[in-house]
Amino acid sequence: MKVQRSLAGRKRDYMLSMGFLLPSVILIGFVNLYPVITGILYSLKDGNIVNTGNFVGLQNYQSVITSSRFWNAMGFSLLFSLVTIIGSYLIGLALALILNKDVPGRGFFRAAFIIPWVIPTIVSVSAWRWLINDQGSLINVLLGYLNIGPIMFLADPAWARVTVCIIKIWISYPFVLISLLASLQSIGTEMYESARLDTSSGAKLFRYITLPHLKPTSIILVILLTVWSFNDFGLIYLLTGGGPDMATENMVYLAYLYPFKYNKIGPGSAIAVITLILLMILAYIMMKMRRSEE
Amino acid sequence: MKTKAHTTRWILFAVLCVVFVITYLPIFTIIANSFRSEAEIMAKGFFDSVYTLDTYKKLLSNSEFVGYLKNSLLISVVSAFANICISAFAGYAVSRFKNRLVNGYSNLLLLLQMFPLILCAVPLFIVFRSVNLMNSYTSIIILYTATSLPFTTWMFRGYFDEIPEEIEQAAWIDGCGRFKSFLKVVLPLSGPGMASVSIYCFLQGWNEFFLANIFLMDNAKRTLPVGISMFINQYSRDYGRLSCAAVLAMIPTFIFFLVGQKYIVGGAISGSVKG
Repeated sequence: MKVQRSLAGRKRDYMLSMGFLLPSVILIGFVNLYPVITGILYSLKDGNIVNTGNFVGLQNYQSVITSSRFWNAMGFSLLFSLVTIIGSYLIGLALALILNKDVPGRGFFRAAFIIPWVIPTIVSVSAWRWLINDQGSLINVLLGYLNIGPIMFLADPAWARVTVCIIKIWISYPFVLISLLASLQSIGTEMYESARLDTSSGAKLFRYITLPHLKPTSIILVILLTVWSFNDFGLIYLLTGGGPDMATENMVYLAYLYPFKYNKIGPGSAIAVITLILLMILAYIMMKMRRSEE
Repeated sequence: MKTKAHTTRWILFAVLCVVFVITYLPIFTIIANSFRSEAEIMAKGFFDSVYTLDTYKKLLSNSEFVGYLKNSLLISVVSAFANICISAFAGYAVSRFKNRLVNGYSNLLLLLQMFPLILCAVPLFIVFRSVNLMNSYTSIIILYTATSLPFTTWMFRGYFDEIPEEIEQAAWIDGCGRFKSFLKVVLPLSGPGMASVSIYCFLQGWNEFFLANIFLMDNAKRTLPVGISMFINQYSRDYGRLSCAAVLAMIPTFIFFLVGQKYIVGGAISGSVKG
């Protein structure tokens, strides 16, 4: 029996829905919407934290996009996200495929592999730092047995970039693994059984059944990983402080330095706005890819 | 044929073991270091060191460090509680009322996940400064409650979607309104959902660094991650102390996640896939 709801009832529902949302709207309005709008306004001003200054039009944007430091940060942001996405996706996918099979210790591994994703960044950084910090650190000792190194993981600009990316992959792959594993487990066995009548090739089954099934989840994953690595501040601040020689400085880190170190809110806010626009464009393209699939 | 499948299983097992060792190398070494003295960390190998609880004893009798622990605990618990009170209602609205306003709002929440926090941090810094809320628990609790809100609203929506509306209809016939049926029928049925949302929020607060680093500058108010980051600067060579603090910071994560991971991950995925 379906309970009929009258027109008045539906109108009451509408009012009620607003009531249910009200606390959330107030909080989000104060902590997200108001600051975003104000932040965009600050990107047009020339002041500091104490005195926000006067409107100067697009001057901050102009000075930002003509500075090489900004392009360096943007380059690293893009490189960092790209490498993180590819690395953590491939590792996560491979492990998800293995853990989807009947392997000994499956439950244990599935739980154990989540940990890097959930421990505090400060813990990850402290742990890794000890492994790679100087010539006598554990990884360099191990590499020494293979007659490699010692490598200056944090002092050499190129190696510092590699190190930051590897640690970010280490942090991110568990999320990919868990999401893809859940998606794999929702493929019915009938799908494979009926497909097996046509082919016995495992590669073909993977290409025509498994991969298409994983596509929607994968697109969401790529969007999330892009957003998370673009907005990553903690890892870079705590591990390298953007160095050596700005090699690991990303857009968010630079946007932090302007207001809180150089005492200028304009350029920092302008960089944050550019980051936001860039992320929205990337997410829009990826969502569009997802829609066209459906 | 059977033996081939058998061999494959063990090869895959070996691959998993290798990945496990690589993944856990930093975690195992930091745990081991937390039980060694500073001199031994510098001079000796893992196998000829003496393992003691000395560093833990020293650290836990250090009032500065215990202060960080207490601050983290207080801030994480209160913000998780505040978050549940708000996001449960919002999640119910998104799950049950399908009108334009609600749909628009739930899409807005998804969009907000994308915003760089640094864009909001400066205006919020200026606001909190002007109302004298800098260095206060209140400011950071408000921030944590709000930053988790989009995700937890989607988590709750996922759990409420699983509860059929027919169960509520019985309560409506008895004269209850939506509000009552939500509190008396839906909420009691979503125990696991509430548990996982609170774990998620607690861990967000416990792990968060960026906002705490900006908004809590008074050492007496600092949370554990920021406190530990001070250790890196202050006692840069004292790895024993640093390791010990890091291990203590990791414990709640381990416990909660091993207990609640099934629910959290489920919520995370249903939230993102539906989006």
